[in-house]
Amino acid sequence: MNPFRAWHLPPGFSLQEVEVAALEAPRLPTLFYPALSEPRLRELMDLLRREREATLVSFPVSRVVDAVDRVAGRLLDPGDNLRARVLETLAPYSGFSSPMAEAILEGMARGWMRECLWDLVRSEFSDPAVLEGFRPGPTGDRTRALGFPLTFHLGAGTVPGVATTSLIRGLLVKSAALLKPGLGDLTLPVVFAQGLEEEDSELARNVAVLYWPVEEGGRTETVLGEADLVVTYGSDETVRWVRERIPPQTPLRSYRHRMGFGLVGREALGGKADGEVPGGKALDAVRSVALDAARSVALFDQKGCVSPHVFFVEKGGKVEPEEWAALLAWAFQEVETALPSGEVSLEDGVAIQQLRGAAELGEGLGEGVVHHGGEGAPWTVLFLPGGVVELSCLNRTVRVLPVDTVQEALSALKEWAPYLQTVGIAGLGGRRAEVMEGLARLGVSRISDLEGVPWPRPWWHHDGSGPLQDLVRWTDVEGVGVLSQGIAEE
Amino acid sequence: MTFQELAKELLEIFRRGVDEPLPDPLFNDLALRVFRFQCRSNQAYGGFVIRRGLDPERVMRWEEIPFLPTRAFKTAALVSGDLENVERVFRTSGTTQGREGRGEHHVMELALYRECLLPNFKAHLFPEGGKRLPILCLLPSPEAAADSSLSFMMGEVVRALGEEGSGFFLGSEGEIRGKSFLRSLQAAERGGNPVLVAGTAFAFVRWMELAQENGWRACLPEGSRIMETGGYKGRSRELLRADLYGAMEAAFGVSEGRIVNEYGMTELLSQFYEPVLAKDQRANDQRMMTSPTGLAERYHRAPPWVRTRVLDPLTLKDLPPGEVGVLAHLDLGNLGSVAAVLTEDLGRQFPGGFQLLGRSSGSEPRGCSLAMEDFLASRGVES
Repeated sequence: MNPFRAWHLPPGFSLQEVEVAALEAPRLPTLFYPALSEPRLRELMDLLRREREATLVSFPVSRVVDAVDRVAGRLLDPGDNLRARVLETLAPYSGFSSPMAEAILEGMARGWMRECLWDLVRSEFSDPAVLEGFRPGPTGDRTRALGFPLTFHLGAGTVPGVATTSLIRGLLVKSAALLKPGLGDLTLPVVFAQGLEEEDSELARNVAVLYWPVEEGGRTETVLGEADLVVTYGSDETVRWVRERIPPQTPLRSYRHRMGFGLVGREALGGKADGEVPGGKALDAVRSVALDAARSVALFDQKGCVSPHVFFVEKGGKVEPEEWAALLAWAFQEVETALPSGEVSLEDGVAIQQLRGAAELGEGLGEGVVHHGGEGAPWTVLFLPGGVVELSCLNRTVRVLPVDTVQEALSALKEWAPYLQTVGIAGLGGRRAEVMEGLARLGVSRISDLEGVPWPRPWWHHDGSGPLQDLVRWTDVEGVGVLSQGIAEE
Repeated sequence: MTFQELAKELLEIFRRGVDEPLPDPLFNDLALRVFRFQCRSNQAYGGFVIRRGLDPERVMRWEEIPFLPTRAFKTAALVSGDLENVERVFRTSGTTQGREGRGEHHVMELALYRECLLPNFKAHLFPEGGKRLPILCLLPSPEAAADSSLSFMMGEVVRALGEEGSGFFLGSEGEIRGKSFLRSLQAAERGGNPVLVAGTAFAFVRWMELAQENGWRACLPEGSRIMETGGYKGRSRELLRADLYGAMEAAFGVSEGRIVNEYGMTELLSQFYEPVLAKDQRANDQRMMTSPTGLAERYHRAPPWVRTRVLDPLTLKDLPPGEVGVLAHLDLGNLGSVAAVLTEDLGRQFPGGFQLLGRSSGSEPRGCSLAMEDFLASRGVES
């Protein structure tokens, strides 16, 4: 395997006399990164701010959109070398299987296409021109929105593409970016930045992507102390760690622990029981819900914040929850072909084996049923009547909890409110409105059909707030009399 | 085969001590008989075995016996025999179990436990022979913590090997009786005769904090020794341990080479020790000579009636020596419950035994959200 250069820096920054460090791990390409000293890191941040003053701050949003769109197009083009560069190292560093890595790359890149980016901008700003200059506010006064000079994006490394999306959001609001990716999401931001340089070199001057081990040499602390805005993805522990290291004047946007759920109403299980066993089309429909559910879990090997951990399944359909759990198991095995599971860490493997073994014992005692992929695949389905919500050990391990009514599921979710994010639903018929309202009151930030679970819409209020609104500062001008000049054309 | 017949055979083996090897054919034969007895008399485990597609009568090698995960001890009462004959129920501490319940080990016969723990303890903490010592335990007494297998074990040890002055210095809520412990340490210091101090790593840390706050120090007489047990999670175990032992050296005046780690768990009636005081007859002698006690070279040794395997957690196949996997123990001491236990502990095979790398941290709340460098750690990169 070729070694990987885990950085992309603006051309004005010289790496002469910088020590290049290597990181080696079994079965991974050797990774090189420049071990920048604190003064050099500060120098890099100053350079990014200067570049942004000279270029990005006065670029129209459309220029950013167009450049990102061209890069995304190349990442989606099977013949393009940019895509090839990503795929060379995406699977090994992320730990996902190659087909999964490819699916993730495509899903992510589609979200970076022109249409999606404009959807995002328009949904965040009713008048996107506030990003270009002062615009009339609601009562005739003037208002303008602008990103911070330099945003530090601190990636988690769990799901490839997440850090790059963060970077793009920053560029859309004209903020220069210093991005430190996690190891699992290393490839995409580096190659994306290379692509940006090839497509719009002036824009790319506003971007630095640089890997370093997060606790090495006080670099993370230095950058946290100097950035104008910090965006971080990670565990609650990581967020706490970051929060303790930024000065009070620096805003922090954090995306922390989240978990997804599925609600399957009886309407998706062949409707109300009328004594008939579903066959033909009815069974196909039930199977297809199970397949959607399995895919929603399988994508990202359940490591996404959107990934469901538990499915609540209503009793009273033609297919009962226990049978549906068996269908879900069948679906996981089906999905294994198109989207094979990636590497399972030792610790996750230990947890999965504990879960399976205890459930197998419980099965003998009449406490539910367990299906799993044996030694070949980590997927595991626990059907647990009377069971409670528990976090899964990832890698496609889910609980199926039967409920009499969907309201029971809402009550069970209450205690998980701080972690709720995406809820995938199927077959709630006329009760959808009521369920959606209940979920909103619990603080769920996204409701989708099961098929849509892995890929949020570009304009989704990420974890409940504005993905671009969160990255800007507003300047409001009161008193129309003083405002005849300096206002963008209406 | 009945419980009593098997117990009688096992008692004989326990009494021969830990330096008398149990050759594989004998171990295999006994393990299979214990396995079949457990399948017959333990409905829950028997069901588990059938669920795994095995016919107990057709299992011919102990390695084929399916290992039951420790988590299952939370699911059901795992008793091989009559529940009403259970003499004692030991419970896991529950502090790291989160939302789940505590694991329970139903012990049919405490006498069997006693006989199985003593020779092993003696060999590793009293290698010089039978002379009794004062044993100071930073643990709750067996009376105060009736469901703690560790307190029970040390109670038996004190009874068999302890001298006047032995005692337990934690209350039932885990509170340290600091002054009383200090007085015992000082008495040992004055008396000039060696003592044994035993406790959990956690209790030692708390004691040392208390001692530091109060300016208490001790320098135990030569020949003193420490048994330390329990909890390191995560990757920096080696480092934490060096720090801990360094601090213990300073706090007790006992050198690192006389601090022995005990690895035990509620779900197993046998224990594993590092042969640092006793030279391990079975180990590679040359290696032992070059670095008898260096932390990186330390390993745990199983008594002859226990076999430990290092498995790939997903496939449950044996890993080659040196590779890190999950530890699975077949402990014949567990006659009255389940002998084949799959742990959550990571380790690797090592000449003479295995190296323990700590408890796997399991599943914590995660979303887009592994701790930043978790990935690195899980790939075995030291960052």
